[in-house]
Amino acid sequence: MRIGLLTEGGYPYVSGDARLWCDRLVRGLGQHEFDVHALSRSRHQEDEGWIPLPPNVRRVRTAPMWTAEDDEVVLGRRARRRFTECFGELAAVLSGASGGAPAVFQRSSAGTPGAAKRPSEGASTHEADRFANALYGLAELAREAGGLVGALRSETAVRTLERACRAPGAHRAAREARVSDLLAVAAHLERALRPLSLDWYEDDGLGAVDLCHAASGGPAALPGLLARHFTGVPLLVSEYGVRLRTHYLTAPDAPPAVRSLLAAFHGRLAAEAYSRAEVVTSGNTHARRWQERCGADREKLRTVYPGMDARPFAEVGESPECADPDTLVWVGRVEPAKDLVSLLHAFAEIRKRQPKTRLRIVGAPAGSEGTAYLGHCRTLAAQLFPDEADGPHATGDNPVSFEEIGGPELPSLADAYASGAVTVLSSVVEGFPISLVEAMLCGRVTVSTDVGAVVEVIGGTGLVVPPRNPRALAEACVALLRDPARRARLGAAARARALELFTVEQNIEAFHSIYLEIVSRAPIRRVVLDEAGAPLPFAVPAEAHVPIRWAAPSPSLVVRGGPGWATARPVRATTPAPEGAR
Amino acid sequence: MHRHQELCERAVDPLEIAAGLEAHGITDRTAARFRHRDVFSLAEEMYARVSRDGDAPTPEAPAAPRARTDWALLTLLPGTLCTAAVAAVHLTHGRSRLFAAAAGTLAVALAFRAALHRGPLSRPDRTVPGRSTTRTSWLVAYALLGNGLLDGAIAGGPDSLPTGTADGPWPLTTTPVLALALACAPAAWTAHLFTARARRKLAASRGLEDFAAAVRPLLFGTFVLFLGALAALLTLCAAVLDEPAAYAETLTLGALLFLARLLTTHGFAYAPAVVLTATATLQAAALAAVFTSRLPGCGFLATPVETLVTTWGAGSVPALACGTAALALLVHATRKLTRASAHAPPEPSR
Repeated sequence: MRIGLLTEGGYPYVSGDARLWCDRLVRGLGQHEFDVHALSRSRHQEDEGWIPLPPNVRRVRTAPMWTAEDDEVVLGRRARRRFTECFGELAAVLSGASGGAPAVFQRSSAGTPGAAKRPSEGASTHEADRFANALYGLAELAREAGGLVGALRSETAVRTLERACRAPGAHRAAREARVSDLLAVAAHLERALRPLSLDWYEDDGLGAVDLCHAASGGPAALPGLLARHFTGVPLLVSEYGVRLRTHYLTAPDAPPAVRSLLAAFHGRLAAEAYSRAEVVTSGNTHARRWQERCGADREKLRTVYPGMDARPFAEVGESPECADPDTLVWVGRVEPAKDLVSLLHAFAEIRKRQPKTRLRIVGAPAGSEGTAYLGHCRTLAAQLFPDEADGPHATGDNPVSFEEIGGPELPSLADAYASGAVTVLSSVVEGFPISLVEAMLCGRVTVSTDVGAVVEVIGGTGLVVPPRNPRALAEACVALLRDPARRARLGAAARARALELFTVEQNIEAFHSIYLEIVSRAPIRRVVLDEAGAPLPFAVPAEAHVPIRWAAPSPSLVVRGGPGWATARPVRATTPAPEGAR
Repeated sequence: MHRHQELCERAVDPLEIAAGLEAHGITDRTAARFRHRDVFSLAEEMYARVSRDGDAPTPEAPAAPRARTDWALLTLLPGTLCTAAVAAVHLTHGRSRLFAAAAGTLAVALAFRAALHRGPLSRPDRTVPGRSTTRTSWLVAYALLGNGLLDGAIAGGPDSLPTGTADGPWPLTTTPVLALALACAPAAWTAHLFTARARRKLAASRGLEDFAAAVRPLLFGTFVLFLGALAALLTLCAAVLDEPAAYAETLTLGALLFLARLLTTHGFAYAPAVVLTATATLQAAALAAVFTSRLPGCGFLATPVETLVTTWGAGSVPALACGTAALALLVHATRKLTRASAHAPPEPSR
C-alpha cells in the first residue's frame, strides 16, 4: 500500500513537531511505501535538514509555508471573475454574512457544521457547504490558471473582504474591521491557502497514493482535502494536539476583527477536514472532545494513544524492590505550570507525618521563565526545610534535592523513577502527561493532580487529587508511603496498563489496522493503463465494482439453516418448476 | 467568572474562552462544580453572559519605519560625489579631464546604487533584478549630452566629441544632472514621509474608500514637495555653475524618475518600466530622425523635431517626452498608490 504522509512543520525536518512519532510509524510499517509531503514552517527549519529516512520512504516533496513565489501570472478577465466569486463566497462565510453562524456553533443543533442548508446563488445551489465550495473553487482556479498568490495579495481580495465584512448579517466583530485588519486577514489567508498553489495533486503526486495520512490537523490536512477532491484519495487525519485550540491560544493580541475572521476560517477548515476524512484519530479524550465539538462524526473518531518506547524502563519495571521506600520523585521540565510550589508545601505536610521522607525533583528548567521559577523553588525549599543530619557528627543534607538527568547520580530517566517509591505530579495544566506514563512503565505508583489527560492515562492505577490542593496531595502520598503492599499492587497494575495501552507497538498496530480499514472501505478505482497509455479494458475484474453486501446471507448458506422466506426459492427448486432447468 | 473577565471580554467566540479556560487548568470536573456538562458549555454561558458593549479601543498606530541615519547619509552621497566630479571636470584639462569624467561617472553610479539599495527607495523584494537601470541611465545621459547633440545635428554636426565644457561645439549641460544627483536626498526623505504617513492613515481609516481619499492629497503633497526641492536645487546649481537653468526638462525628468521609483518600491514595477522604455525610445527616435533625414529622400523625417527645436529650443524634446511620461505615471500612481494593498506591511521574513 502506498501512503501519502502529509506534515506541516514536522517530519522529516530535524526540528519538526512529532517527528519521533512519524519516524516510528514509518519504520514500523516497513511493508508499506510512504510518500512524504512536508510543508516547512521557516527558513531556519529548512536549513537544519532532515532526519535520516528509512528505505520505504519512496519520495519526499517539500514546500515552504513561510514564503511564496509569486508566479507572476496575471489572471485574465474570466479567471479574475471566478476568483472574485470564490473568494467573495469564502469571505462571506467567514464574516458570517451568509446568515449562518461559524461552524462550531451549529453542531449542537444541526449535527454537522456543513449543514447550513441555505440556498446560495448560481452554481452552488445544490451544494450545502459554501465554504468547501469556495475552497475547492479557489483550488481549481489555482490548478488551471495559477496566479492565486498574486490574486490573494491583490486589491481585489482586500476589497472583496471589505464588502463581505460590511454586508448585512456580518458578525459584530467583523463589521468593525479597519483597513489594517483587512490587510492582516488577507495576508494570513494568503499564507494559509498556499497549499492550494502546489503541484502535488497530479497523477504522479498525491494522485498515485492509496491513502493520505495528515499527521496534524489544520494546514497539513489541506493538501489531503485537495487530493481527495481532485483524485478521490481517502484521507486520515491524526491529531495529537488540536490545531484549532492551538490557534486560539497562539493568536496574539490581534484586533477582534482579525481574530474573529481567522477563527472562523480555522474552525471551518477543521470542520471540513473532519467531515471529509474517513477516520479522525486523536491522542486522548480531550483532543477527541474538541474534535467532536468541531463537528467530527462520532463514528469516525478513534483514540490512538501515543506510544512510548518501553525498553529503557523494562529492567526497572521488573524489579520493583530497588525503590527507596521513603522517597518521592517528581520528573519533568521545570516551569510555572507544573506548580512545584504546591508540591513543596505538600511535602512539608508529609514531613510532619513521615519525618524520614525525601523528595527528589528531577528536571531541567524550560526557558528563562523556567530558570527563574527553579531558583524560586530552590529558595522556598531552603526556607521550608533546613538542612538536617543523622547525628551530631554527620554532614547535613536537605531533604529536597534538585537534580538533572545525565549526572553521575542519575545516568538515565529510568534511574530517576527507580529511586523513588512514589512518583508525584503536581501540574495545574497538562496535556498528555508523558512522565506519568514513564513512571507507569517503571511500575511505580503515582499521585497526580486531576488535569488534562491524567485520569485517562492513570485509569485506576494511581491516586488522583484536585489541582492546587497541597493538603490532598499530602494525604494521598502519606497513605501510599504507609502501605507498601498497596504500592506494589498499584505499581504492578500501572505497568500492566502502560504496556497494554502506551507502547509504540500498539500505536503502530492501531494505525496499521486503520489504514487497512480505510482502504477496504474506500478503495480508489483507477483506470489501468497499458504501455501505450490507453485504458486497458477488463484489467479490473467486473466483480470488483459490484456493490454487494458481503455480510448478507448468501443463498448457499441459507439452504442449510435459513428458515422462512429465505429458504423458499431453493426448496422450490426441487419441485417441478414452470420453466426450470429441466 | 470574575477571574476570567478579561478573557471573556476579548473573546470572539465561545471556543476561544474554552481554550483559554483549559489553558488555566479548568477541566470538566471543575465545570461540573458550576453545574455544566463540560468546559464548552461553561464557556458558552460565560460568552453569553459577559457584556461586550464597550467600544473596542482604537488600535495603536503601528510603529512607523524610523528614519535611520545610515540611509539618510547614503542618500547624500550621490550629490556630494557628483559635485566633486563636476568640480574636477571644470578644474582639469585634456586627458586628465577625460579620466576625471570617467571616474566621476563611475563613482556617482555606484553611489546611486548604494543609496537605492536601502532606505525608503529600496525595492521590497531584492530577488527580482531591477529592470529599469538601463533606461534610467539613458535618460540621464540624454540630459547630459542630448541637447548639445541635437543642436549640433540640426546644424549639420556634430564635428567633434564633447570637450566637457558648456561652450564647446558639443556642450555639456551639467546643471540638470547635478541637480538630480543632489535631489536624491529629498527624494528619499519625501518618500519616507509618504510611507510613514500612509501607514498612519492605514491604521486610522475605517474603509478602503476613506483610505484612498486620505492618501490622494498625501501623494500630491509629496510630489509637489519633491518638485519644489528639485527646483530650489536646480536654481542653486545654475547660479553656482553659471549656466541657464533648464527648468522644464529637469523638473519633468526628475518627476518621472521619482514617480517611477515610488511605484517600484510599492511593488508596481511593470508600468514604470514600460513608461521609461517609451520615453527613452522617444528621445532616441528624435535623434535618429534628425540623422536619418540626411539620407536622400528622407528630409521630411526631421521636420517635426526641427520645428520643435527652432521654436522652443533643444530642451523641448526631452521636456515634452518626460512631461508626458511623468503625467501618465502620476495618473497611474493616483490609482495604484491609493490602494490599501500597496501599503500592506511587509511580511515578517522568518
